[in-house]
Amino acid sequence: MNKQTQNALTPLSPSLHANVKAVRSRFGGSSDLVVRLFRSDAAPDRELAVVYVDGLVNASTINESIMEPLMGMALPEHAPRKGEKMIDALRGCVVSVGSVREVRTLDEALQGMADGLCLILADGSAAALTADANGGDQRAVTNPQTQTVIRGPQYGFVENIRTNISLVRRIIRSPNLHVQMHKIGRQTNSNVAVLYLHGVVDEGILKEVYRRLADIDIDGVLESGYIEEFIQDETFTLFPTLLNTERPDTVAAALLEGRVAVLVDGTPIALMAPTNFFTFFQSPEDFYQRYDIASFVRIIRYAAFIVSMLLPALYIAVTTYHQEMLPTTLLISLAAQREGIPFPGLIEALLMELTFEVLREAGLRMPRAIGPAISIVGALVLGQSAVQAGIVSAGMVIVVSFTAISNFVMPESNMAATSRILRFAFMLMAGMLGFFGIFISVLFMLIHMTSLRSFGVPYMSPMAPGPKKQGLWRDVFVRLPWWAVVLRPLDMKLRNPKRRPNGRKPAAQRHSDNP
Amino acid sequence: MSIGKLFKLFLAIVLALPAGGCWNRVELNEIGIVSATGVDLKEGKWQISYQVVIPQAISGNVGTPSSAAAVNVFSTTGDSFRSAISRASQETSRRLYFAHNQIVIISQEAARSGLEQLFDVYLRNADSRETVSVFLAKGSARRMLEQLIPLEKIPGAAIQRMIANEEANSSVFREMTMHDVLFDLLGASQATGIPSLTVAGSSESLDQADKLSRTNTPSKVRLNDLGLIDKDRLVGWISKSESRGVMWLAGHIKRATVAFSCREDDKGLKESSVLVTRAKTKLRPEKSGGKWVMHVAVDAEGTLMEYNCEGDLTKPGDVGKVEKAIEEEIKREMELGWQAVRKHKTDVVGFGGSIRQNDSKAWKSMKDDWPEEFSRMDARLSVRMKVGTTGMSGSGFKKTQKKARS
Repeated sequence: MNKQTQNALTPLSPSLHANVKAVRSRFGGSSDLVVRLFRSDAAPDRELAVVYVDGLVNASTINESIMEPLMGMALPEHAPRKGEKMIDALRGCVVSVGSVREVRTLDEALQGMADGLCLILADGSAAALTADANGGDQRAVTNPQTQTVIRGPQYGFVENIRTNISLVRRIIRSPNLHVQMHKIGRQTNSNVAVLYLHGVVDEGILKEVYRRLADIDIDGVLESGYIEEFIQDETFTLFPTLLNTERPDTVAAALLEGRVAVLVDGTPIALMAPTNFFTFFQSPEDFYQRYDIASFVRIIRYAAFIVSMLLPALYIAVTTYHQEMLPTTLLISLAAQREGIPFPGLIEALLMELTFEVLREAGLRMPRAIGPAISIVGALVLGQSAVQAGIVSAGMVIVVSFTAISNFVMPESNMAATSRILRFAFMLMAGMLGFFGIFISVLFMLIHMTSLRSFGVPYMSPMAPGPKKQGLWRDVFVRLPWWAVVLRPLDMKLRNPKRRPNGRKPAAQRHSDNP
Repeated sequence: MSIGKLFKLFLAIVLALPAGGCWNRVELNEIGIVSATGVDLKEGKWQISYQVVIPQAISGNVGTPSSAAAVNVFSTTGDSFRSAISRASQETSRRLYFAHNQIVIISQEAARSGLEQLFDVYLRNADSRETVSVFLAKGSARRMLEQLIPLEKIPGAAIQRMIANEEANSSVFREMTMHDVLFDLLGASQATGIPSLTVAGSSESLDQADKLSRTNTPSKVRLNDLGLIDKDRLVGWISKSESRGVMWLAGHIKRATVAFSCREDDKGLKESSVLVTRAKTKLRPEKSGGKWVMHVAVDAEGTLMEYNCEGDLTKPGDVGKVEKAIEEEIKREMELGWQAVRKHKTDVVGFGGSIRQNDSKAWKSMKDDWPEEFSRMDARLSVRMKVGTTGMSGSGFKKTQKKARS
């Protein structure tokens, strides 16, 4: 803070009542503002006040660690009982909560209260104390709602940033895990925490994260999505350039890989950067399961991504332009299904895809109680009946359902959304130009993807540009056993690019060591 | 470029796409899938017959497939192939789609008058697939298309599967795709052999689906003789057994059952048989005394399937005798084929190609006179047969029975 803004702040008045009045008026007489005036036995001539916002603080902390010590305090004989000295004495000897800070301006005091601190005022003192009594109701730590795994930790982030940071700290028990708090949002004053692993992270990228965060000027930050759109490299792209997760272990893994994590108060979703395209195909479970099944599943995911983007387009192209490419039996079977279908293939596919998107959106918003009813309507009416009524062909229903299922394979929902949108573009191109159209669009998509950066890291690395270091391929399309993955995955200027000193086999498999 | 300009450019491209695209879009229910084509010559004009698949009859959407015939046959005529085909649009609601055409059947008359027009169509057009199998027909090609085939819904595909099955299991004929035919006719010998189809049985055509509800059919399509094509004309027929000899000579045997008699002199019943599982033919031309001699060496391997002769097959010596008998039998088959093709002066066995490879100078001097030269050639045949396994019993049943009594 520079000097000018310092001057603009209102200092606290030595008068207790003036201060209380000022606080009250700044809060507009809000009914949840609690002001407790009292006298303590130790200094009966001095009036004290405890001020806090109801619901943001933990009532028992206020009672046990602030009110009780203050009211029944016995200051040591020599302790001053006047003015600011007394505030010092209160801090030093009486208030028994962990974090207590002295404030001298009204604005600091108000901000502290809005953050859930408890303000302690003493008559005759132009300084006050803010004691950390943060609390109130919040959701307990539960299973992650979206990114579930079979093997691995079963807890996710909650809405409280302090809890979230502690969840990460419990995984990386090291002082090298640094946390930098920022306040973003003119009105919401949301806490935004930047987490990184000191000694591993690329300092340049860290500076860039700070620079981009400092540049944000917005009235409120309600979710990490607000931050994401401000700090991502490219706005006009369908591809996400930041990872997000609600899993503490995923954040910890990202930090270990040299990435920077951004946690935002009020949401369980954390951001991680930089990233590349291939990271979106990694699920935390990839690293908990054995490498063979993890690699297999990862390849399936890449295939599912391609299917969910291209399958309807390929179906349209083959059935309206390239019938000669189908085996005869399949062609005849498809032709039989298409008899009497009134729409051209493209319209039929668009119709079914849009229907599915509507169903999906409806399913998201539907009250839980009627969910099953709607799924029956969706599956039976729109699938079976539409085929029997001769409005769509059975093959198209299969294609659309498989595409929809494939889309849910993606571990990162934002990348799944990319393929959902691109699917329509590919379908239109396939309907107009056949395979030629599909290939042109795929080409343009690849050109676009190679032009993307995530905090300076090429989006398609280590594929394009090729890896600068040997061994970056070991955790891209397949995952090699842990002992073989020596390097941290991204092409960054990491302080410490190796995860382990060498790629030695584990002791049990080193025959030279075995007797 | 500003974003506004970029957007305008994008819009221009997007709007141009629907204008240009879609024009050659063909929905599946706008095409008539042709599964077989027939070529007849009627009063000096080409009569092209089409066997068009009716998809609903094969796999209907609702309920079980109907018992209606799965194909519809009709013909158009014209001076040229393409003009005849284009006339099809005057009598059918759908565009004929030839990419999935399985077979082409050419009638005897059409083949005798020359097929260069047909071959030109296949070489010139992208939508005429050279993977179609070519057949000749003794009689009308259209009649072949009208025949339903039991077990199969689409007769065209059934006939192609029939020849593929035949080639893989008895190797009397070979599936001649249009590509194979053109490859032969544009090669050194400019001759090829095409298998033929006949309708066997009574004259009642199997042209109604109800007739398939009986356990036996009054007539059926069957593979018959091999038609010999020289340049682009049919010049003669050779029988099935002669065709097998040709297959041995040309090295096209994949899997064949050879029946042989116990006596080496080809007398007596051919009671035993061997399944040839691997066969290789080597040609080596040699000029001796102003005349070309072709050394044909066949190396075959097989399994004994039937054995009704004397001898104990657990003894290597007796197996050697059996092998000798088989070798003689194969030699006889080859000789039969050789005499037949020599008579017709059509080099369907590829001797010309072999000479061209081995002695291109000599080939150049005689290539114009090749059919005559070919008919003057001699073939020296040698066969080496190896019986890999004699099956689960050693000697024949009779002998085992005798042994059991004693």
